[in-house]
Amino acid sequence: MEMERLGELWRRLLFLLQGSRFNREMEEELRFHLKSKTELNRESGMGADEARYAAIRRIGNTALLKERSREAWGWSAIDHFMQDVKFAIRELSRNPLFAIVVILTLAFGIGVNTAIFSAVNALLLNPYPFPQPDRIVSVEARHISGKNSSTGYQDFLDWQRQNAVFESMAIVPWTGAYTLTGQGEPQRITGGATTPEFLRVLGIQPVLGRFFTTAEDQPGAPPVAVLTYEAWRKRFGADPGVLGRTLTLDGQQFTVIGVLPRGFVFPGIETCEGFIALRENSSLGRTQHQYSVIARLKPGVSIEQAQSDMSTIASRLEQQYPATNTGWGVKVQPLRAALAEEARTPVLAMFSAVGFVLLLACVNVSGLLLARASGRAKEIAIRAALGAGRGRIVRLMLTETALLGLSGGAAGVLLAFWIMEGLRKTAPRVFALDSTLHLNFTVLLFTLLVSLLTGIVSGVVPAWSASGADPNSVLKNEGNTWSRARTRNRLMSCLVASEVALSVILLAGAGLLVRSFITAMHVDTGLRADRVLTFGLDLPHGKYSSESQAAAFYRDLLDRLQNSPGIEAVAGISTLPMTGGMQGGGFQVEGRPKAADWVDMMVQYNHSTPGYFRTMGIPILRGRDFDERDTGTSPPVAIVNDTLARQYFPGEDPIGHRYQDAYDGKWRTIVGVVGSVKSQQPMNPPVPGVFCPHAQSPSRWMWITARARGDAAQLIETARTAVHNLDRDLPLLKVRTMREVISDSLSVPRLLMQFLAVFAIFALLLDAIGIYGIVDHSVRQRTHEMGIRVAMGASSGKVVGQVLRGGTLPTAVGVLLGLPAALAASGILRAVLYGISPRDLTVFLAVPVVLLLVALGASLLPALRAAKMDPIVALRCE
Amino acid sequence: MLILRSLDRNGPMHGYGIAQHIQQISDTVLQVEEGSLYPALQRMLIKGWVKAEWGLSENNRRACYYRLTPAGQKQATAEVAEFTRVMEAITRVIQPA
Repeated sequence: MEMERLGELWRRLLFLLQGSRFNREMEEELRFHLKSKTELNRESGMGADEARYAAIRRIGNTALLKERSREAWGWSAIDHFMQDVKFAIRELSRNPLFAIVVILTLAFGIGVNTAIFSAVNALLLNPYPFPQPDRIVSVEARHISGKNSSTGYQDFLDWQRQNAVFESMAIVPWTGAYTLTGQGEPQRITGGATTPEFLRVLGIQPVLGRFFTTAEDQPGAPPVAVLTYEAWRKRFGADPGVLGRTLTLDGQQFTVIGVLPRGFVFPGIETCEGFIALRENSSLGRTQHQYSVIARLKPGVSIEQAQSDMSTIASRLEQQYPATNTGWGVKVQPLRAALAEEARTPVLAMFSAVGFVLLLACVNVSGLLLARASGRAKEIAIRAALGAGRGRIVRLMLTETALLGLSGGAAGVLLAFWIMEGLRKTAPRVFALDSTLHLNFTVLLFTLLVSLLTGIVSGVVPAWSASGADPNSVLKNEGNTWSRARTRNRLMSCLVASEVALSVILLAGAGLLVRSFITAMHVDTGLRADRVLTFGLDLPHGKYSSESQAAAFYRDLLDRLQNSPGIEAVAGISTLPMTGGMQGGGFQVEGRPKAADWVDMMVQYNHSTPGYFRTMGIPILRGRDFDERDTGTSPPVAIVNDTLARQYFPGEDPIGHRYQDAYDGKWRTIVGVVGSVKSQQPMNPPVPGVFCPHAQSPSRWMWITARARGDAAQLIETARTAVHNLDRDLPLLKVRTMREVISDSLSVPRLLMQFLAVFAIFALLLDAIGIYGIVDHSVRQRTHEMGIRVAMGASSGKVVGQVLRGGTLPTAVGVLLGLPAALAASGILRAVLYGISPRDLTVFLAVPVVLLLVALGASLLPALRAAKMDPIVALRCE
Repeated sequence: MLILRSLDRNGPMHGYGIAQHIQQISDTVLQVEEGSLYPALQRMLIKGWVKAEWGLSENNRRACYYRLTPAGQKQATAEVAEFTRVMEAITRVIQPA
């Protein structure tokens, strides 16, 4: 029995492979049959023709016979499908312009969806490539005020010692730039400092050697380093004997003890080439909150259990160290949730926007197909007359649209590649897309499904509408009957209306974001950003081992720049405004009681050189700027901003008061008050801040700001030359004008805005095409009617008005439907909007106006054509 | 069954031949429709009961000859036996008592 089945299957397969032979042979066989029959008939005394006709009559429909014989083999489904595909390709290549427009429309819709889905996939869905990723959690210190969510080193050590729920716990590598010497030219490389259990938390092992141990974590232990696989290949040519060799980083010798597995990535530390032990200075105390902590749950321990254990530890620490730990709790959450927190809103907003874009593309393609269907009515009618069932015709047309969908999908993947390249370059860090953003299997599967679905969704309405026509009337009337054209017109109007409704949502979103961005860009940031160039410098430890060397370098550099042509003023600052950088510390005023909660006393610490306020256009409200009298040996001084002055010295003059520096412990006398500058984003209020003279606490890291006499960008070469004349190995970091710095601080809303603006333009374009399509179609259908009207004396104005109404009416309906939907959807954007409400009146008034204008514009061409029509020609055309 | 039996009795035949044969033997009582004959032959090909070979006909034309395979022979015997059994039963029922 089994053997028979197998033989049967084999014969069927053989048949499939010899598909064309079957047709030939069957034909020959039937021909033979026919001839034999004819001969027999003649023998029985019929005439030649009569004999042949009798034979033909006897055999009947040979095509059907062949078809039925073929069907016996059970491959008819595939057969029909292949036929449909071949036919669809032929049909599409006959009208390439149509095919290209459709494919491009779909490609855009599918492309942006693929790109954004890959971001969603990378950010919110795709598990990290570590064993049991759901057991990796983020553990954060959280202050009740919500002000800080970083963790202090001492707290980390206590957590690690006291918890009973984690298998291992580690600090996420603290990245920094190091100067690598001893391998040709000195190079700047990025490394991460972490704790010994980092790899154990992630559940991975080095491929070579080992990770460092708790003993090597201690200050004074011999320095060791672990390389990434890529750095091992790049710097040591994948030499297996690399263990035991040394690396000189910032002048210190590190012994290589291990190599990480290939392709190791962890969000936020993608650029690290290696890892060294984090040797924290325990004198930092408990108020230095700067680290992120990850941990691996013990098997069977839930997040809730971990949370409750950690909360117990936190409250114990609060009692133990009331001065530093009061108000500090702990938050345990899955690592993914912690990383995605910031990006969730923009990414989800984007994902819903691309969803609308795809829907819009589908509706548009439906409209195009429907318009084309009027040209194909006859062909479809002939098929129906020849016996093709409605199902068969629908299937044929859906094959065609599915094919269009797939081609659109293929083109869309290319587009997605391009978009993702762009995202990789411009996406802000919060998107965390650097390493994880790529087209993978999940994404491609998503694209495939979306493409097929898109094709089918856009094809259903036109296919159903076309197949429903009565073939009799179509064929008899040589074209379209009145009622059918009207039905199709109504259908097209519905499609245009839904297209417009979708566009309203996209346009409103784009409009809100654009307005919010413009508002934010024009907010008073407290400084004059025009004509200012900024760049960062980071002097390597090895070359500038003492702080006085660093101070001398910066003094020299600023002198040289000050004397360069084209520079009006130049100065250095430790934290550039609007970069979100924050060097915080307590602010203890002399003669006042110590605050119970130091977090409430946090102010922003800055170090600046003389002339900084003048360079940045920040007003000096009282007192003086730093000058050359403020040196390392002169009395410690400071300048505060007016936000601090208002907060700490209400109704008092801060000048002359003293406070204790949280970093070096010196008591500083306030000598000036300056205007406040926004430190995070233009829309966030300024924070209280103090400035100390750079000469009194020199650092290796510094931002240089230079105000140009002319265009700021022209200063780049001057600056580069000045730096390289002093140290030709020193790279200029993040060279930007201050305007760009402000714009970059808005990079998330800016990216969202750019995306939605592109979508909105796409939507308008599709609307224009759709509206033009329907108006043009109706003018063509009604040529005859219009001819009569004109002949009866209708003015051309009346005709134009009638045609224009055909385009604007569905638009108006669409606007009315779209507005409530847009109002509901715009709520998603609340979190990223600044200065305007998600129901901004201007935007919601402008959108309908723009759409109606587009509708008028798109209808104008066909309307004018209708008006110029000669009634005689029009009447004759039927 | 009729086709299998015809092939069993006469050896390889072409489609036309089978139709003629059944018609003649049954004194034109049984007319084989071409519309059913060829699909039926295809089904037998799939089952492996017959094999198709191209050969020359009596009047020197190329024609496709169908030959019974051993499996086909077995099937023919089985079908005839089954038919005869049913036929006898029917005959017994309709015979006047």
